[in-house]
Amino acid sequence: MSTRGVYSFASLTPNNIGTVRKLNSVLFPIKYSEKFYQDILLPEVEDFCKLVYYNDVPVGTVCCRLENKNGEASLYLMTMGILAPYRSRELGSASLKLISDAAAAHAKPKIDRIYLHVQVSNADAKRFYERHGFTEVGVHVGYYKKIAPHDAWILEKRFSSQAPE
Amino acid sequence: MSDIPAKRALPSKESALFKELLTLYETRQLKKGLKTADQILKKFPEHGETTCMKGLVLAHMGRREEGVDLVRKGVRFDLTSHICWHVYGLIHKGEKNYEEALKCYKQALKYDKENLNILRDAAQLETQLRIYDGLVETRHTLLRIRPAMRQHWVALAVAYHLNGNLTEAKKVLEHYESTLKNIPDYDVEHSETMLYHVRLLEDLGEFTEALAMLDVNAKDRVIVDKTSIMEIRARLLAKLGSDEAEHAWRVLVEHNPDCYQYYEGYISNLGLSLDVSDASAPKTLTILEEFATQLPKATAPRRLALTLASGDHFTELVTPYMLSGLKKGIPSLFSDMKGLYTDESKQQIIEKVADDARNQFSAEPSSSTSKDAEPTSYLWTLYFIAQHHSYLGRHAKAIEILDLALSHTPTLPELHMFKGRVLKRAGDLFGGARCLEDARSLDGQDRFLNTKSAKYRLRAGMVDEASALFGLFTKKDAPSPGADLEEMQSLLYLVEAADAYNRNGNLGLALKKYMAIKKVFDEIEDDQYDFHGYSLRKFTVNIYLNLLSWEDRLRSHPAYIKAALSASAIFVALHDNPSLGTGATSGELTSAQKKAKQKAKKAAEKLKEDAKKATHQTNTNDDKGLEPPAKDDDPDGSKLLQCTDPLERAAKLLNPLATLAESKIEVWIATYDVAVRRKKYLQASKALMRAVAIDAEHPELHIRRIEFRQTVSALPETPQVSGSLLTESLNKLLPEEVSAEAFNSQYLQRHSTSAPAILAVAKVMLKLQTPREQVDDTVFTVFGTEVPLDIKSSLSILSFLRSSKSPREDEFRTRCGEKFELSTVFKSAEELEKLRQVALAPPQFDAVSSDKTEDVMP
Repeated sequence: MSTRGVYSFASLTPNNIGTVRKLNSVLFPIKYSEKFYQDILLPEVEDFCKLVYYNDVPVGTVCCRLENKNGEASLYLMTMGILAPYRSRELGSASLKLISDAAAAHAKPKIDRIYLHVQVSNADAKRFYERHGFTEVGVHVGYYKKIAPHDAWILEKRFSSQAPE
Repeated sequence: MSDIPAKRALPSKESALFKELLTLYETRQLKKGLKTADQILKKFPEHGETTCMKGLVLAHMGRREEGVDLVRKGVRFDLTSHICWHVYGLIHKGEKNYEEALKCYKQALKYDKENLNILRDAAQLETQLRIYDGLVETRHTLLRIRPAMRQHWVALAVAYHLNGNLTEAKKVLEHYESTLKNIPDYDVEHSETMLYHVRLLEDLGEFTEALAMLDVNAKDRVIVDKTSIMEIRARLLAKLGSDEAEHAWRVLVEHNPDCYQYYEGYISNLGLSLDVSDASAPKTLTILEEFATQLPKATAPRRLALTLASGDHFTELVTPYMLSGLKKGIPSLFSDMKGLYTDESKQQIIEKVADDARNQFSAEPSSSTSKDAEPTSYLWTLYFIAQHHSYLGRHAKAIEILDLALSHTPTLPELHMFKGRVLKRAGDLFGGARCLEDARSLDGQDRFLNTKSAKYRLRAGMVDEASALFGLFTKKDAPSPGADLEEMQSLLYLVEAADAYNRNGNLGLALKKYMAIKKVFDEIEDDQYDFHGYSLRKFTVNIYLNLLSWEDRLRSHPAYIKAALSASAIFVALHDNPSLGTGATSGELTSAQKKAKQKAKKAAEKLKEDAKKATHQTNTNDDKGLEPPAKDDDPDGSKLLQCTDPLERAAKLLNPLATLAESKIEVWIATYDVAVRRKKYLQASKALMRAVAIDAEHPELHIRRIEFRQTVSALPETPQVSGSLLTESLNKLLPEEVSAEAFNSQYLQRHSTSAPAILAVAKVMLKLQTPREQVDDTVFTVFGTEVPLDIKSSLSILSFLRSSKSPREDEFRTRCGEKFELSTVFKSAEELEKLRQVALAPPQFDAVSSDKTEDVMP
């Protein structure tokens, strides 16, 4: 194993949202709206929206939102990314674990599943989530309007009523 | 008291009321006090003492003007009453008129020689005013009246000490100590007194006695301050040249391995030096390396070793030092190394170490199981290398490295901050402000980033926008962010804001801010007042004496020097051209200035309303103290601009610098400028001679040599008193057989590769009415390959061309723009306006244009 630095997480505040914006602008091909940035500051998602620090430098972000559809409560993973030089250091895994554990422990409402979209050109990302217990449950055709390819896999992980993964 | 004048004596009822009035005042029951005073005055309206007391009470209640008037009346009613003079003294003290206050107190003492209160206050005033001989007498009296108070003994010793009479001080202390009985164990007051006695002996040069006293009292645990014991011990042993000194210093170093002073003490005790050029450097280096091995966690010995080592040995030492810092990610590593850059060979070694580190940290891991470097090590190494290049003036290279680092980790505020700094150094002030805003947007709760970003806006001339940023952290109920920062005595803010206004041509506000800086220093000087009483009460004499000598050197602070020099330059300009002071900014106010004016009007009106409210609130018991409330009656500085005595004010500002900053040539130049205009020609010539002693070839001095000769020869008659002296010094400054033109061209020949010198020559040429073309041609020689031209000099030259309406101003400006590629300060006004808008736009989160705006599906 290579030497590992120290990682930590921080909740989002109006003061560090600028760092989130900066990360999103270099990590993702999508420009997120103002509403996105307002929603991730809401208290009910504090456990699911974090900045990831490595050796005290902000290097990544994970943001989710809660959804309640058809009697089912889901955690939708909107963004998760780590700056290129800091990948392959299990930061992504640690971030996923953090929000998974938080989802499993969430009581009101009890969360049944986590799911996310992955652009069909991003096989690496798909493999990553599959390694962490996600499965493909479908394809959303034309999910992306402005970037190509326009389709996205839907990856999901369901929680049993028992302890977290 | 002997004969009480008839007017003063009160019948028993009123006399009792008066005693009650005094008590009520002391317990600050102001409403009742007022009533009581009025009761007495109903029957005895001209009773001086009651009138004074009533005035005092009113002042405390906020009705200051009324109160002070009454006090004056009261004194006139009864000129021989110690109470009246005492009250008058208190009023003056409240206004910080210490000299006037002392006069009143002396009067009061005439009529009540042994009044403890008055004596004590008088002693404090004498200390504040540094009237040490008077202080000795006052302390003597106090001791005579109350020898049982321990404080009085020590106070007298301190008074003798301050007055320079250390032997008497010692006698007083010895006598005092012989009277002490039953001192409790571990009594800090006594410990401090003994430490003072030791210091006194040391100051007298009686090192053996001092050491003996220290050792005896340390052993008996009388002195409880262990660190002081160790420090003084080491110092005394060193002064005595004792063998034990080395051990004593070693103990100190082990006690605090990161205290540079202890290493200095250890080294100098051995007769060695921390100066790398000294022959003993290798020996010192060995000692430092031993310390480094012995104290592995300390950075001081390792850093000091870097100063002393050279060549290969230096490389051996600096490599692990830097690598450890880069891996740890210490942001200030470069600032630490900067001090070594005076040595060019070390500069190059450091560059190589940093480059090697960069290669090492960015190398691909040879296999997935190898230890690959942390990406943060690479990041901080890039940061270091960028700082290195910018420090050496290679700004474009620094930007290149920073952009590399930014694409690696764009979320590190330090990278954005430093990019801003490089742009600023390269002359792109708007770019700098833009980068600092990018840095600030990453962390909104970091006040350091906030202040830096606001400062960069001030440097770019965006005063209002800077204020908006400051306002994010200042008190919300302050009249303005600037007002809060001024109250908090933020010298950083005041200097930058003043300079920004000055550069923008807003002389009134600039002057106001420079005066605010002066006021801060006046306040710091006043702050010591309370310690004259407090420190003696607590017997903490040593630190008190240090405070007094620190206060004596207070105005040697760079902020004061800056403010004094800049303000006096403005005052001189106002004297030369009074029209600058009357709506000079081309008559029209910018929208920002209009806003400021409206705000100031509102603030002034609010103040008036508050004052009115205050007079209606007089029936409260709140003690408003004796200080007059601060009021701002000159919101845009126009009163300052139109003052009738600009030169006198400038002289007052410069006065302390003659002793406290005498090695700065700028001080003497400024002193000359003021003196010559006040027609104090001898003072002016003396100032120039002081300047000559510091740097005879300085360009500003050169200009004034010629100017001075012109001024004096234009005088209708030589001043009688100093005539011959004046002629003599003039001759030394500019020999009479040499013409001004010849002198000027000789100077140019000597300094043809110095841009500031060329500018000085051009200025003189213009004054001597040389043809414009020749002047401009001389100016343009600064573009010669031999002339190292920097942005600061270029801006000065540009300003000269502008103010002298040269036809080649734009040409010069354009050429500078080409020479300084990264700069924007040489662009035209329209271009600058565009850049300003860019700088103020909200942070761009690049990479994706807005037509790619997707959103997360609902």
